Amino acid sequence: MQFCRVSSVAEAVDELSRWGAEGRILAGGTDVMPQCLRGEQSPAALIDIGGIDTMQGIADVGGATSIGALVTLRRLATASLVALRHPALAQAAATVGAWQTQTVATLGGNICSAAPTADTLPALLVADAQLALVSKSGRRRLGLGEFLEGPGATALRSTELLRAIQLQPIAEHGAEGYLKVGRRSAMDRAAVGLALRLSVTPNGVVSDARIAVCGGTRTPHRVPSAESALTGTQLVDGHLDCAEAGAELAGAATPEHAESALYRRRVLPGLLDRLAQRCIAEIAGAES
Amino acid sequence: MPNVAAEQPVSIRLVVNDRRHQLDVGAGETLLRTLRERLALIGPKEACGEGECGACTVLVDGGPVASCILAAGSTDGRTIRTVEGLAGTGELTTLQQAFVSHAAVQCGYCTPGVLMVLTALLDTVPDPTEADIRRALAGNICRCTGYQQIVEAALAAAEAAAS
Repeated sequence: MQFCRVSSVAEAVDELSRWGAEGRILAGGTDVMPQCLRGEQSPAALIDIGGIDTMQGIADVGGATSIGALVTLRRLATASLVALRHPALAQAAATVGAWQTQTVATLGGNICSAAPTADTLPALLVADAQLALVSKSGRRRLGLGEFLEGPGATALRSTELLRAIQLQPIAEHGAEGYLKVGRRSAMDRAAVGLALRLSVTPNGVVSDARIAVCGGTRTPHRVPSAESALTGTQLVDGHLDCAEAGAELAGAATPEHAESALYRRRVLPGLLDRLAQRCIAEIAGAES
Repeated sequence: MPNVAAEQPVSIRLVVNDRRHQLDVGAGETLLRTLRERLALIGPKEACGEGECGACTVLVDGGPVASCILAAGSTDGRTIRTVEGLAGTGELTTLQQAFVSHAAVQCGYCTPGVLMVLTALLDTVPDPTEADIRRALAGNICRCTGYQQIVEAALAAAEAAAS
């Protein structure tokens, strides 16, 4: 095995085109290294992209938020721009593993590992995440929903690098959050994770609802039927009735994961209701 | 496809406990192995080997990492601190002193990792709450289960540093 250190995107895509499927990108390494150490994979080359400075930034780009693929989960959990514009992402990043993991694990790594339980992915999905992919033959842009193909499977080509992630911030009358349930309160994978983004008009009607789940499905995804059940709902005495959307959400749990579908069907509506009332309170608080 | 040797070495420069080193490490070598076997720093321990238990925790540029799953090759140019670097001048740090006076050590295997995480916490949050301390320790497993003394020692260290 060879260790290839690169310091620019151009060098990285050169190495990727040179090694093809025999090369493995190394960012924080919290997935790749244990897999190598366990002998589950033995790439001919580890291509260490950690030294690429241009992939470490968090910036406003014409109203959208651009996050370099090498931004660590710890930074996402603590950066003020993320807390302000993407609170669900900050909350999700703070629940991934322990501090030791968050120090080195990157957002790009979390996306490309495509674990069914990846906490950051529902938060990215409700923010309409667009991925900037680059290879020696050019660039392309792909929505995260199209990129995720299954457990550990993505549309990333072997010669391609995920360079940055572009997100839409919450609207003016909006709020969002992420909640997860695991067997322990820390350090555990999500049995179920749920991200909700809500926009409410000044007269109390839900104008936009975005809901995404992880943990209960082959890959994290949006749940359009639950979103449309919530959209157009009128708040009553500052309360949002989530019963119909909760039932739609429960129906989205498939029996393919360790925790039983029955358990997730019972938990999901409760999580949605808790998140929804929290978002409503935040929106009301911001306007008063 | 280029010719591939079994495990080609990669050259790294790093600062460990204020000392500069230039080393040739294996492509798949972990930082923990580099520290223990090349630099004889055996404070960081190997327990799970999968980044789950925290016994191997060291600070890289001030942040706690699980050195048992960190590629040594990726630490080029970084500053590393191990438990040996805490009492560099021979005197225990306030935190280490608090561990002694609160009997926060049982078998001692988790202690180097616990000390490094709490050092990082006290460096960034000088006045942590008990909840801050417990959250910071989420990735450090003590199978003697002596967590209470550890938390009390950390609270006492924060108080001593503030006074």
